[in-house]
Amino acid sequence: MLGLDSFNIDSVVIHTISIFFSGVCLQSPCSLLFEPVTLQPCLPSEFDVVILGTGLAESVVAAAFSRVGQRVLHVDRRSYYAANWASFTFNGLLTWIQQHHEESQPEEAQDWSSLLEEGEELIYLSNSKSESDSISNVQVFSFTSEEEEEEEAPSPDPPSIAEEQTGGAEEDAVKENSETESADSKEDDTKEKSEATADGDDEEQASQTEGEEPEADQPTTSAAQSQSEPIKKKISYPQLLKEGRRFNIDLVSKLMYSRGSLVDLLIKSNVSRYAEFKNVTRILTYRHGKVQQVPCSRADVFASRQLSVVEKRKLMRFLTSCMEETEEQQAYNGRPYLEFLCDQQLGDNLQDFLLHSIAMVTEDTPTEEGLTSTRHFLRCLGRYGNTPFLFPVYGLGEIPQCFCRMCAVFGGIYCLRHSVNCLVMDKETNRCKAVIDSRGQRISCSHFVVEEGYVGADRKQMATPTRSLSRAVLITDGSILPSDSDQQVSMVTVPPIAAGCPAVKMVELCSSTMTCMPGTYLVHLTCQSVGSAYEDLSPVVTRMFHTPESHDQENCPSVLWCLYFNMADGSGLEAEGHNLPSNVYMCSGPDGGLGHEHAIKQAESIFQKILPEEDFCPPAPNPEDIIYDGDNTSSAMGGEEEEKEETEDKQEKEEKEDKQEEKEETEDKQEEEEKDGAGEMEKEEEQTLQTEE
Amino acid sequence: MAIRELKVCLLGDTGVGKSSIVCRFVQDHFDHNISPTIGASFLTKTVPSGNELHKFLIWDTAGQERFHSLAPMYYRGSAAAVIVYDITKLDSFQTLKKWVKELKEHGPEDIVVAIAGNKNDLGDIREVPMKEAKEFAESIAAIFIETSARNAVNVEELFQKISKQIPPLENPEVDSNDSFKLTRQPAPSTRRCC
Repeated sequence: MLGLDSFNIDSVVIHTISIFFSGVCLQSPCSLLFEPVTLQPCLPSEFDVVILGTGLAESVVAAAFSRVGQRVLHVDRRSYYAANWASFTFNGLLTWIQQHHEESQPEEAQDWSSLLEEGEELIYLSNSKSESDSISNVQVFSFTSEEEEEEEAPSPDPPSIAEEQTGGAEEDAVKENSETESADSKEDDTKEKSEATADGDDEEQASQTEGEEPEADQPTTSAAQSQSEPIKKKISYPQLLKEGRRFNIDLVSKLMYSRGSLVDLLIKSNVSRYAEFKNVTRILTYRHGKVQQVPCSRADVFASRQLSVVEKRKLMRFLTSCMEETEEQQAYNGRPYLEFLCDQQLGDNLQDFLLHSIAMVTEDTPTEEGLTSTRHFLRCLGRYGNTPFLFPVYGLGEIPQCFCRMCAVFGGIYCLRHSVNCLVMDKETNRCKAVIDSRGQRISCSHFVVEEGYVGADRKQMATPTRSLSRAVLITDGSILPSDSDQQVSMVTVPPIAAGCPAVKMVELCSSTMTCMPGTYLVHLTCQSVGSAYEDLSPVVTRMFHTPESHDQENCPSVLWCLYFNMADGSGLEAEGHNLPSNVYMCSGPDGGLGHEHAIKQAESIFQKILPEEDFCPPAPNPEDIIYDGDNTSSAMGGEEEEKEETEDKQEKEEKEDKQEEKEETEDKQEEEEKDGAGEMEKEEEQTLQTEE
Repeated sequence: MAIRELKVCLLGDTGVGKSSIVCRFVQDHFDHNISPTIGASFLTKTVPSGNELHKFLIWDTAGQERFHSLAPMYYRGSAAAVIVYDITKLDSFQTLKKWVKELKEHGPEDIVVAIAGNKNDLGDIREVPMKEAKEFAESIAAIFIETSARNAVNVEELFQKISKQIPPLENPEVDSNDSFKLTRQPAPSTRRCC
């Protein structure tokens, strides 16, 4: 841990106020304060903002509103936080997979018109159980053994036989694969299927173990270093299940740019104190059938063995010069970045690194865009580590939860497994006056924010054609590039392996990120969909890993288990302009970008449209700075309930004033600090860059 | 003396006095109508323990327990959990098992668990016999204590007991893994980058 926040704001006085649960509940008379959970207390019937869905953008919006004193109700029909941004334990993920194979129950369209007043109209939301719209083509393959403990490989079969068997396995896998595809439409029990998959692989597994030369062939660097036992034990499926809670498997795969808008927001709001982070330790790329490290920091460049002295000089010169806009660059505006790079006479090596791994763009990307992303990459270097990226310990699914907690800490009310069935629209003003929740309670609100998945296609203005992302999640038994440390976090760029194939972004996580069990790695692959996730990504998996489908990949890490699925790409959706009341805002699901810019920008713009005067996520006070302003009279007993109610209003007012003051102060301070900080950093960087010359 | 930060998370039904216990421990203050979680991410108090100082970072549920919507992140990295019930509400004791189960599912494996029977000052309307609660605590190897946040009974003791159960830091070098908090100032980087 590298020290807590150094940022201080003046002591904040928080008055003890009674929370709005004491408000009257119209639906059913129940005592609210000491209600046992089993009886489910009802919700207050009035909020400023009701938010449906706990994805990243929705959660940031929730925190932002709650922080400035708005009354927020935040609900999600799922039993977990973060919607399509969620992360799951291994067993949790299996449940999620099963849900996506189940037929969605036709919705019971209940008639809530009795709750309407004159001049009102109902707008029904979509609450179908499966997110069939956003998730599709779910396919699972298990290449582990079903046996509890695997003993040493029995009689040594010749490898050739093993290979033949493996070939057979490929067919099996393909067959199963098509089965699985059809399963989506047919009524088919997934459980049976996954069992079948596992069973079918049982034999293959055995052969695999035999065929594989344990460790001997591995590049000597580190392979054996972490393993004391000479023969690596295969991890079995029951072991994965048993250690399932050590996994935190994200549905989306992104990284945090160390100077990106998410990191800035986490720091600004103090939400960062709820989570810990790790540096991505290296950037890798896949070229000519090999995994290579991309030199990106000064240290990397000088330490690199694959670059010649001339290349090193060229690369440093290029990286330095591209930080500033020049006339030469402008001349390439509108022309491909690749062309610009070609004309810099960098050579194929450097050109590939720069295009695919540093700018992370395609061959057709215009020069100005390529330069912008190169600069962003370079600016993010060195803030926390030697790569531009951070990854949250326990996975990305933590981030929306952190914002939700911030919202709750400031009084926001949370309710999972709870939804909004319909909106009550005032016909005259075209505004949403209230919502009707899944228990038929009418809850009035001034604004409504909703995740796109709850809005029927007929009301959405979508960019056509709709795009989607292809995702694969692998659990493997080794790193794709073994090194001195077995605890590397790697960002891997895989350029299109053939014409027409998508460029794939891959993130390999080690067990110290708390996303997978010790002895395994969690690998996420993501690309813009061309075909199904399996079609897009399995060729890359087969090339870079050892699976029953791959041949002569014995030195590659083995895939123990993998999952393919497609997810709708949220980048084409606007927050407004849909066929919805004017005070309803839509948040899109995860986009295909590597960073979180899209969601954060969306959250901020929704907040600013509703409360243009208010600060977006001002810092929460430090725990040490909170002073309780309790007048000690209350520690005496009895007879003061009435008195309290009288003083309540007063206190609330006072508190608001206090908050206001506090905010103004912190704003100023923060701005100053931020300016100073940024200025210094930039200067420092410039200097380092210049000294190189 | 070395300061060691220990995250402690509170669990238990709404209204059993979780916040009152923290408030009594940290501020030595009791208020009938509190909702002190407003604005406080967690509260801190440092107490000496052996040759260490234990800085407790006490996380309250912020009301997210009311509709059973606590996020897994709430439990991450906790050294201890205090599960609170109300001795005058049998229901709150019966749901204790649910909280234990939830903790087993989401909490760290080596977490120290303490069970606190609060509102011990209201003994005349007691619904949960001390013996029963104590036996249950023993069955799950948890610390057990009855407290009264109102009368400041056993609150300090509760945290002292937790302090004693926290295993001493074996090897700080090994223990410190390289994850970090994001701060306003850049983390010191040993190497300068281009």
